[in-house]
Amino acid sequence: MTTSLLVQSTIIGLSIGAIYILMALGLTLMFGMMHIINFAHGAVYMLGAFVIYYLYFQGGVPYFAAFAAAMVLLGVFGYLVERGIYRPIKGGIEPTLVALLALSTFLVAAGYPVFGQLDKHVPPVFEGTRTILGVSLSVERLMIIPIAAALVACLYLFIKKTKIGAAMRAIEQDREAAALQGVNVNVVNGLAFAVGFALAAAAGALIAPIFKLDPAMGDQPLLKAFIIIILGGLGSIPGAILGGLMLGLIDSVVATAFGAEPAFLLSFVFIILLLLFRPAGLFGHAA
Amino acid sequence: MRRKIVIPVGLGGAMLLALLLPLFSSDYYVYLFALVFINVILASSLRPSLMCGQLNIGHSGFMSIGAYTSALLAKNLGMPFEITLLCGALLAAVIGLAIGYPALRLRGVYFAMVTVAFVEVIRLIAQIWVPLTNGMSGLSAIPKPNLLGMTLVTKTDQYYLVLFLMLVVLAVLWKLESSRLGLIWKSIGMADNLAQSLGVDIAKHKLLAFTLGCFFAGVAGAFYAHFIRFLFPPEFGFLMATNILVYNFVGGRGHFAGPIVGAIFLSLLSEPFRGSPYETIFFSIAMLATILFLPGGLITLPGRLGGLCASRTLAARVPSRVA
Repeated sequence: MTTSLLVQSTIIGLSIGAIYILMALGLTLMFGMMHIINFAHGAVYMLGAFVIYYLYFQGGVPYFAAFAAAMVLLGVFGYLVERGIYRPIKGGIEPTLVALLALSTFLVAAGYPVFGQLDKHVPPVFEGTRTILGVSLSVERLMIIPIAAALVACLYLFIKKTKIGAAMRAIEQDREAAALQGVNVNVVNGLAFAVGFALAAAAGALIAPIFKLDPAMGDQPLLKAFIIIILGGLGSIPGAILGGLMLGLIDSVVATAFGAEPAFLLSFVFIILLLLFRPAGLFGHAA
Repeated sequence: MRRKIVIPVGLGGAMLLALLLPLFSSDYYVYLFALVFINVILASSLRPSLMCGQLNIGHSGFMSIGAYTSALLAKNLGMPFEITLLCGALLAAVIGLAIGYPALRLRGVYFAMVTVAFVEVIRLIAQIWVPLTNGMSGLSAIPKPNLLGMTLVTKTDQYYLVLFLMLVVLAVLWKLESSRLGLIWKSIGMADNLAQSLGVDIAKHKLLAFTLGCFFAGVAGAFYAHFIRFLFPPEFGFLMATNILVYNFVGGRGHFAGPIVGAIFLSLLSEPFRGSPYETIFFSIAMLATILFLPGGLITLPGRLGGLCASRTLAARVPSRVA
């Protein structure tokens, strides 16, 4: 592998890692508060990409407006999922997981008759290439990194500085105590669903101009996000960020050298080994 | 008193129907019911693991291992079905042990995620190991089951084979569940900390339940390979694994009959749209509706309806007594 190829795959790895981080953050936030894993996260990512397809490409709405619309629409959807699925099942972790799994398979399968069988493509938003360290890279790919970083920074500020963020942290520490202090646990859980869904939608919206769109497009990023949060430790936000960067780099560098499938197999083997020797993840506390 | 009569008569009737089915129905139904029986094996073999509170979303991966092992041994080495079946099931169990050992030390959510990733890994291996599995072109021309020196040529013969396999698997699982082991599984599922404090080795029993399920999934896969005679890696993906879970939840997790009822009911009802996205849509809606409105599953439906009727007749009787 030449140096320029290494530089190129590293930068692409960062951009892929940024997408994975957006996926993993929502999952880990929801896990920390409710001890559930949102199996529908991949489907939400897919829906985010399709919002861009219909609003930006078909509807002619400016890209950033379509991007915001994807986040808002799916955020509202997330809140409704909390009301309609999570809240009625109340407490049962296993039935909740299975219900979210069913929601995911439903959204993906319904995508075929609704969006059509053919793959969709969104034309590039940011044209051109830029040369970095002697390697030319498409601006489209590069733009993912600052946008994702801005979203992560917003999430950080939201969780650390706002009242709702404080309520989320309180629920994460002790649900009953938070409720006793006057936190409306249901509404805050709903908002966590909304934030998680909005971040997944953002990831899908960012990737829409780069990859082809089809209803099953969310499966792979979902699996990667699972691997990331196991790697980083469930519930840990710094863990999700570091895990996402690591996996993005492994993915891109190993895939450039050996192909995409060995990269995935390698990350799975890595997870099994990690679980054997450090079950709480690299940065997590005990499960 | 009535239960004592109804259950054996019902089971005997179902048995008789299953035995006689090929005599009075077309090949299509024989084929369909053979597939239903495969689904029953898959659904019931997931039950021990579910009883221990382990959400295994990777069951179809083990079926895939059984299917490919059995098909390749028969196709390339000409081995008889009784040996390929055993090899397929054993390999599925061994791999289940290897995955289960690290994963089962964890709480349910981690376990569920690892099993999802595992399905993908198995699918990818089947896809990229082209010299062995023929990759995405699919493995075709798998020999028909060759049992005890004779080849089962017709679908009817194969139907009786899978009926026999299903009955053996169900008998073994029933025997285990109604033994002390079943109680231990139930206790782990209800409160693993409590079970552990009473001296139950929960890791060992979870692993046993999981490996047992993998073994029988391998059995189902081995038969499937020689019955359909064509294997295609994506078929054993995440969707099939989800369906196996759906059978258990829709049928009901509270009783041994749950997965059996769920598998039969859903496989027959979804038959008109098998293979299309509408099958998945149907399954997901059935699943969501069951979890939200009938958490105990279909097997609790007669009891619930009975309860409803009883309360209504009671309500009707009360005023008359007053009058």
